[in-house]
Amino acid sequence: MAQGSIPNPKIVRFKGLGPGFWPVTAVLALLSIVSAVYFLFGSLDWLLPGASQPVADRASDIDGLFKFMAVFGNAIMIFVAGYVIYFSVVFRARKSDPPDMVGVPIHDAPALELWWTVIPSLLLVLLTGLSIAVWYKIQFGTAAPALTAEVIGHQFYFEYRYPGLKTSVYSKTEPMHLPVGVPVRLLITSADVIHQFWVPEIRLKAAGVPGLVQNLNFTPLRTGTYDIACSEFCGVDHSLMQGALVIEPVAAFNKWLDSEKKAAAAGGGAVSVAGGDPVAGKALFAQKCTACHQIAPFDQKLVGPGLLHITDDPAHPNLVTGKTPTPEHIAAILQNGYTGPIGAMPNRQANGLSDKNIADLVAYLASLK
Amino acid sequence: MHAGTSTHDSHDVADHIHPPAEGFVRKYVFSLDHKVIGFQYFFTGLLIMLIAGSFAELVRLQLTDPKGAIMSHQAYNVMFTMHGTAMVWLVLIPLVTGALGNFVMPLQIGARDVAFPWLNMISFWIVPIAALILFSSLLFGGPHAGWTEYPPISLADGTAGALWCLSIFTVGISSTMTGLNFMVTIIKMRAPGMTWTRMPLFVWATFATALMNMVATVALSAAVGALFLEHVFNVPFFDPARGGSAVLYEHMFWFYSHPAVYIFILPAFGVMSEVLSTFSRKPIFGYKMIAFSSMAIAILGFTVWAHHMFPSGLAPWLQIPFMILTYAIGVPTGIKIFSWMATLWGGRIHFTTAMLYALGFLITFSFGGVTGIFLASVPVDLHEHGTYFVVAHFHYVVAGGAVMGFLAAIPYWYPKATGRMLSERLGQLGFWLFFIGLNGTFLPMHWLGLEGMPRRYASYVDFAKAHPDGVFWNQFETVFSFMMAASIGLLAFNVIWSLRHGKLAGINPWGARTLEWTINSPPPYYNFKKIPQVFGRPYDYDQPLPYRNTDNAIEPFPEYGKVVMPTPAPVGAGA
Repeated sequence: MAQGSIPNPKIVRFKGLGPGFWPVTAVLALLSIVSAVYFLFGSLDWLLPGASQPVADRASDIDGLFKFMAVFGNAIMIFVAGYVIYFSVVFRARKSDPPDMVGVPIHDAPALELWWTVIPSLLLVLLTGLSIAVWYKIQFGTAAPALTAEVIGHQFYFEYRYPGLKTSVYSKTEPMHLPVGVPVRLLITSADVIHQFWVPEIRLKAAGVPGLVQNLNFTPLRTGTYDIACSEFCGVDHSLMQGALVIEPVAAFNKWLDSEKKAAAAGGGAVSVAGGDPVAGKALFAQKCTACHQIAPFDQKLVGPGLLHITDDPAHPNLVTGKTPTPEHIAAILQNGYTGPIGAMPNRQANGLSDKNIADLVAYLASLK
Repeated sequence: MHAGTSTHDSHDVADHIHPPAEGFVRKYVFSLDHKVIGFQYFFTGLLIMLIAGSFAELVRLQLTDPKGAIMSHQAYNVMFTMHGTAMVWLVLIPLVTGALGNFVMPLQIGARDVAFPWLNMISFWIVPIAALILFSSLLFGGPHAGWTEYPPISLADGTAGALWCLSIFTVGISSTMTGLNFMVTIIKMRAPGMTWTRMPLFVWATFATALMNMVATVALSAAVGALFLEHVFNVPFFDPARGGSAVLYEHMFWFYSHPAVYIFILPAFGVMSEVLSTFSRKPIFGYKMIAFSSMAIAILGFTVWAHHMFPSGLAPWLQIPFMILTYAIGVPTGIKIFSWMATLWGGRIHFTTAMLYALGFLITFSFGGVTGIFLASVPVDLHEHGTYFVVAHFHYVVAGGAVMGFLAAIPYWYPKATGRMLSERLGQLGFWLFFIGLNGTFLPMHWLGLEGMPRRYASYVDFAKAHPDGVFWNQFETVFSFMMAASIGLLAFNVIWSLRHGKLAGINPWGARTLEWTINSPPPYYNFKKIPQVFGRPYDYDQPLPYRNTDNAIEPFPEYGKVVMPTPAPVGAGA
């Protein structure tokens, strides 16, 4: 005895492809066309920032590819969802059905299956062609770069280096600058963990992988200020690893670069330590320094040495730089950072220290006994 | 003790029923019965799902404020890491392969158990051990680098990171053994007459999954094993500062973790084929194409891993083959979707809870598939990589695909597993909560990502400044995410409440036609008193059942204390 066998099945009957099949298909096709028109001609600035006025030359290529996929992707979704709902309504079981009512016993339709294999395949072949064309432009389409800048990821800021500029620019204190209308190449790497350099308006991103240099090539097309974000998880404050990008006319860019160069030439010059406020310095120390240093004898290290006796330690008469512990020499470490046998300390840009901050910190450290 | 001299010729197996296990421990704790092990996977997975789901709700609550509403950055990072890790390895893989595969597959092929019951028991008990190891990492601060745990950042996790590696390595052993076990079971233990093209499609899907589990997991084990050595013994495999390669880990990780997505989704595909056919009262459309496309996906799935790494330091020319192969996976996936839609056409559709989830799956999974094509395209991926667009795509595929498939499977096979029906009213309410909650939570993430919101951000002050509507959409998502949570809570309640209060199911409440519906609910420990013989396809609703020797069902099985008599049940008897 075979359970569930149906002695006298009643097979559902209907005309053609089902009541209302073609009108429903027409409505779905119409909806697909409306969606296509919207994606091709509508304003997509809310979805793709700067879509109507591309910020860089590759942005419009990538947006074009996006729109192509959106047109067909939406059409697929409209038809899938539409037919699922339509079939559910038209072919629903009725209360009046006999218990052994069954659907049309068909198993396949080779012609139909061939079409729904061939058409998506052809679409994907077309998409492959279009994708490779845009990929080729991204890789090889930008003219030889007139400016090559370097982007180095750190936890949790970007460092930018420009040709001819001895010092770096840091995202914590200053925006990155690029000239408009000039082909640029950004060389991207990292000093610690994996980061990612991304400017949404430019549409391009590349990971900064330690030990590996990647490049991004594009021509900025519009002036303005844009956000830079790290888009690869890089640690506790990953979400604070943000920066700004200023795209400006060539003249303004050159002026900015010249002023940076002058400052760099003048810099290295000592910060004035006069007028430091030890009370402000103490508050600042708690904010900026206590992750690595404590107010304790030299040997009580967190990351760096304890700083209680920085100016009067008989066991360590000199600073880690080998210089005498004068306020000026302490200020020099705060300003330039330190790399040496006992470890490394970031410089003022990385720590976000102003001249006044440095003076305050030095005054505070000098007041310790 | 049986002599064991009898040959395991299929005609002799009928004489070869071992005595039942005795005592609580051997019956319910260290059980060798694939059905009990399926239950163990199910309740373990469901419990961890509640924990990992509450982590996700904490993540959503944090994002209601651009500055971060409820916790520190570090705590937030640990939460999304634990959510992803637990959901992938301790919820989805145990539920879809462990619970469903174990309970359903041997019944569907007419076998008395899996090929290696001891291995099966060990595979299960590894999972709670791995879970304990993973959750114990919270005592050491917890891992914080995301479920991918890319070095070098994950090296900062210290002990917690080492425990993470150990947990994943351990659970990988379980996956590999289960894969091997299921492959052998399906190849060797099908009932006589059940040729490959007479297998139910869920068995095909389980076969493809088992193949992937067995082949892919070793790559993951190698990756996390090496990472473990780096954590504990400072062997510099991946730390570039000491000559390692960070990108190498990404390759090894994704060589497993992309197939892993298909490991979740293929069993859900199998569930779709069963549920859609049963409740449309109509043969599955394009049986062979669905079966072969499962295998095509399983094989192609191994060739696409680097699409996770387009901006991450891949040689540019290498991006092209990975893009093309990823596009190619769209074709067999499309074939499945279209075949299921054609199964609906001309059917007589019964809207049970299982069917609602299956219909919902068709919409949400298709959407996840379409956005997958966007991400496969190298140029567009350069914009979308690492943003909320990826989070949205992934959750449409996994929550809208694998989890929806699983949620369809629970009401479908619960009557067979327990002898009682789940409450349809609670189940259907749960479906609408889940479906609306899913779309409300993940749909806005598409445009947040495209506008420029990176994933894994504990705060998004700059983004909110540039896009003030981003705050609204994040709060919107949080509200809808609680609808999904409510749905899962309702399911947990329903599963436990119906154990006692559900209507009696009978042998075949859905009028389904695969072999498990020819035996008692719940099945006796040996499943089939006589091994059935199969002489036809499983989905012909207008034909008599294609099985002989299926009169097992009417015999009483006193060890279960209750005899459930067969009823000439029309479909949806419990609805």
